[in-house]
Amino acid sequence: MGRGRKAVVIDMRVSLDLELKDTPGQLLLALEPISKYGGNVISIIHLREEEKLRAGRVPVHFTLDVADEASLERIIKELEKSGVRVAKVGEATKKETITLLLVGHVVDTDLRDTIDRINALKGVMVSDLSLAMPHPEKESSAIVDIEVSQGVDKRMVMDRVYSIAKEKDLEIIRSLEV
Amino acid sequence: MRIQIIGFGVIGQGLAEVLLRKREELKQRHALDIEVVSITDISGTAYAEGGLDLEKALQVAKRTRAIVNYPGALEMRGVEAIGEIDADLVVEATPSNIKTGEPGLSHMLAAFKAGKHVVTSNKGPLALRYRDLVTEAARHNVEFRFEASVGGAMPVINMARETLSGDRVTAIEGILNGTTNYILSRMTREGTSFEHVLKEAQELGYAETDPTYDIEGIDTASKLVILANAIMGIDVTFGDVETRGITRITPEAIRLAKDRGYVIKLIGEVKNNHIEVSPRLIPETHPLNVDGALNVAMLHCDVAGEVTVVGKGAGAIETQSAILSDIIAIWKKRGRR
Repeated sequence: MGRGRKAVVIDMRVSLDLELKDTPGQLLLALEPISKYGGNVISIIHLREEEKLRAGRVPVHFTLDVADEASLERIIKELEKSGVRVAKVGEATKKETITLLLVGHVVDTDLRDTIDRINALKGVMVSDLSLAMPHPEKESSAIVDIEVSQGVDKRMVMDRVYSIAKEKDLEIIRSLEV
Repeated sequence: MRIQIIGFGVIGQGLAEVLLRKREELKQRHALDIEVVSITDISGTAYAEGGLDLEKALQVAKRTRAIVNYPGALEMRGVEAIGEIDADLVVEATPSNIKTGEPGLSHMLAAFKAGKHVVTSNKGPLALRYRDLVTEAARHNVEFRFEASVGGAMPVINMARETLSGDRVTAIEGILNGTTNYILSRMTREGTSFEHVLKEAQELGYAETDPTYDIEGIDTASKLVILANAIMGIDVTFGDVETRGITRITPEAIRLAKDRGYVIKLIGEVKNNHIEVSPRLIPETHPLNVDGALNVAMLHCDVAGEVTVVGKGAGAIETQSAILSDIIAIWKKRGRR
């Protein structure tokens, strides 16, 4: 799909989990809005084994490239209008999230500076942070989400985090997959 | 089969107890008749040509804490006993030493030299000198097995090397220390501090008086080195492991993680030639999230995908499951010398 037509500058890869009725023509119904707004389908996976769990609806996992947020929103709106349930929307591979816990004097060692120095890396952004401070004198903790764009080496990001942590005597607890 | 037990503490005594209990069963199921011809501890060596009275040996050890009080015992050290007493197999069960590997290292080398198979629960020598030990055993054409050195009753080394022998294991992650898992599990459940739970664990006997080995991740690192060598063929020793423990984990950190659907566990990981022990965030629904003092290991295999095994990581009796399975495997492969 997408070939031979006006070139679309692809900016985002997204995943869409749709639930289709188990009747003929449903897949086509789902494809039409995607095609109409310039989406390029990368893969379609029928999750037949999960069908029973969803009361006769067939979950289908789409991966597609779209030009931008606006066209994604148009696609979702149109899908829902035509009776296709959109169960989940996520960015597929273009961005990954690193979740980290920091333990130590997180605030006193200038939290703003810690965030700024992580954000200074290209394609890297602290997107969420929760803080727990039991007592001003005691060590505090923060759980941080760092969004990393596709193509950015996660080890490089972690190297930066660990060097900041060493300097500020913070303990880093990273998630298993990082 | 004539065996010698070197080291008669928790593990050595546990073996004697299980052998007493399973003597008939081993004969019937495996045609294996085990005679314990000698037992050595720091005080000396009890020795009997036709096999020791294990009940008496246990009584002596429990009452006097010195096997030299067994009738007719000799003031003979481990290396000597291995060199001089005729036997097929040595069970090396002395305390683990991660600085020098001694006295276990000398015992193992002496056994190989004497043409005796070795079964051990002793991590230290393996974590420091894995390659040398395996090479020496092969050079003397004897068997060397050490399932009990990692994860107590949890079968992982033999499972990977024998049951999964067609697979290549590309990564290993696991909780390999029961004490730290117990402490973290309780901190998670009760919201209490590390110091508080550690103190209680010590009072209950779940943690050592000097808990450094456990809480600093040293014990986990030793076991991880053994897995990396034995299962993945990576030539690493204890000094190559990047090790961090759990002493800085706070109740607030655990709560923040929990709010996001994670638990904190002390994980040993071998992946992409990197070997590390550190506290990690584990999704609550992940197979590695096992509670209490349990151990768990997840093997990433090239054919089978992920295989996870959970079991009791310690215990005088439970650990004998691993030691017995190693003895039986050697018996089946080699019979009597």
